[in-house]
Amino acid sequence: MDVLIIDNNDSFTRNLEHLLVAAIDGATVAIAPYAALPDVDLTTPDLIVISPGPGEPAEYPGYERVFSAGKPVLGICLGMQIINEHAGGTTGRLTGCVHGKTDTIRLNGIERVVARYHSLRVQTVGSGLTVLAENRDSIPMCLGNRDDRILGYQFHPESFLTPYGGWFIEYALDFLSLS
Amino acid sequence: MNTRSTFSASLERDRFDRFAALLARQLDGDLLLSAEGYPSLTESLVGVHPIAELIISATTTPAQIKDFCFNTPDPALGYISYTYGMLLRGVASDKATDFPLGHLKKYAAIAEYADGQATITASDTDLLNRMTALLTGPLDHAAPGPVTGLPDTPPRLSLDQAGYEAGVRETLERILSGHTYQLNLSTRFSWHCPDLDPLALFLALRHDHPAPFYAWLTSGPLRVLSTSPERFLRVEDGHVLSQPIKGTLAFADYSPELNAHLTKSHKESAELSMIVDLIRNDISANCTYDSVRVEHHKSIFQVDNLLQMYADVHGELREDRDCLDLLFDAFPGGSVTGCPKQSSMRIIEELEPHDRGVYCGSIVVIRDTRNMDSSIAIRTATHDTETHTLNVYAGSGIVVDSKPASEYQETLAKADKFLGLGEQ
Repeated sequence: MDVLIIDNNDSFTRNLEHLLVAAIDGATVAIAPYAALPDVDLTTPDLIVISPGPGEPAEYPGYERVFSAGKPVLGICLGMQIINEHAGGTTGRLTGCVHGKTDTIRLNGIERVVARYHSLRVQTVGSGLTVLAENRDSIPMCLGNRDDRILGYQFHPESFLTPYGGWFIEYALDFLSLS
Repeated sequence: MNTRSTFSASLERDRFDRFAALLARQLDGDLLLSAEGYPSLTESLVGVHPIAELIISATTTPAQIKDFCFNTPDPALGYISYTYGMLLRGVASDKATDFPLGHLKKYAAIAEYADGQATITASDTDLLNRMTALLTGPLDHAAPGPVTGLPDTPPRLSLDQAGYEAGVRETLERILSGHTYQLNLSTRFSWHCPDLDPLALFLALRHDHPAPFYAWLTSGPLRVLSTSPERFLRVEDGHVLSQPIKGTLAFADYSPELNAHLTKSHKESAELSMIVDLIRNDISANCTYDSVRVEHHKSIFQVDNLLQMYADVHGELREDRDCLDLLFDAFPGGSVTGCPKQSSMRIIEELEPHDRGVYCGSIVVIRDTRNMDSSIAIRTATHDTETHTLNVYAGSGIVVDSKPASEYQETLAKADKFLGLGEQ
């Protein structure tokens, strides 16, 4: 499987690359910096991953061509917020912002510990997106649309603080009809 | 043909330190001195009589640095500044810098110390004999003595208490907006001290406050006095080890309960965890898949009346990469920038009125393509022997739970061994 990560100038992108290679048999992962987004070839990857990064979705215009490329899309942290805003949702400051700490969520009926790094949150959910997991404070932690083959994680499966990061990639592949 | 002669002897570390002091005093030797009992113990090394030097400027490329380091089998010792790291990470600055962006040397003679054994290697028999005579002769007179010319006036601060705390508050606002998750904010303490003997100061600090990465380096009229406890990156036959430090607790009287106080702090734990994820990322660019792992997370050691938390981050260097690929892709170390790195460095450039220069760069020993060691140049001072300026720097990691006054106090605690000098 060919995976393309669009890197929003983040410092966890290589962790994501290593996780994807470990979790997907035979995966090859390419990384394109956000600055190359207007020109990057979106026809060859089987999966496009939108990375975490500093700031808010409004600072990263140009993702329309990713969503219109007809490819499955997985967004992590800022990437999930970009998915949500593309669908008409909004982003706001998270009360009690959290970085480098763990939380517990339930996804697909299974409780998992996850690492959180975010100052912002999905404030209102975009049209057509379903919240698939949230934490005990009702902060959306996973949302997506199975038919449109888009999925977002607010938490960081690639962190060493997320004990079963590979499980979340397997869930994403299943959700995006890639497994 | 570069033929070298060697001399070896079993030796106490204290005796090697005195020998190193003589080499610095009499032969302008550059020193990297480690200390026992720390998780980042490294080989001590003294370089004498440079035979090749690379002064790094804004136009020096990593390829030129590689060429200098790898074109002969001799080890290279020196520093690479934080300012050079800004260029690598694409962070612009128009601040004046008073040091070269790096300075690496290869030497006619090297003295090394590890596992109780001192070894002198020299390309010149006369030099080898002279150094051997120093090593085997009386060394009592080389013990650290009183430091002359210490400043007796308060330092000038680039960010005084009010300025530093305002910087912390602004950092907190940037954290809430998502532009940084953690940021290391520093201040600079400066003195004019025309009579200071900086080598005596370095040796006295080394004697009274041992740490694993002490370095004394000369660069023209400039002197680096680094007393760092932190390893950045070690590569040993391709095995990569980083030991980021985050989480600090100052104490007057140690008790074991303090360890749990530090490890149970959510704030201090989050600081370390963030930087562990950052260094995992930064080494992953040059490490094989499935090799990057974290061990001993939230371990603790003591240095300078501080408890410091650290972790071991391991990886295996890819066969098609060398240790300088690794160093430059990960440079400067995440524990002194914050996370995400580039965005945090831009904010640091905005909030700090001073140029960091050597401070927060690295002291490096590069042996070959798959062997090197490097520190994070914290707890580091610089001295200009022409302007007689002594600069001491200290910083603190700011996270969302930080309190401005507490973070300022942490910078003072880290600078304490330098700040207390005038009171001795």
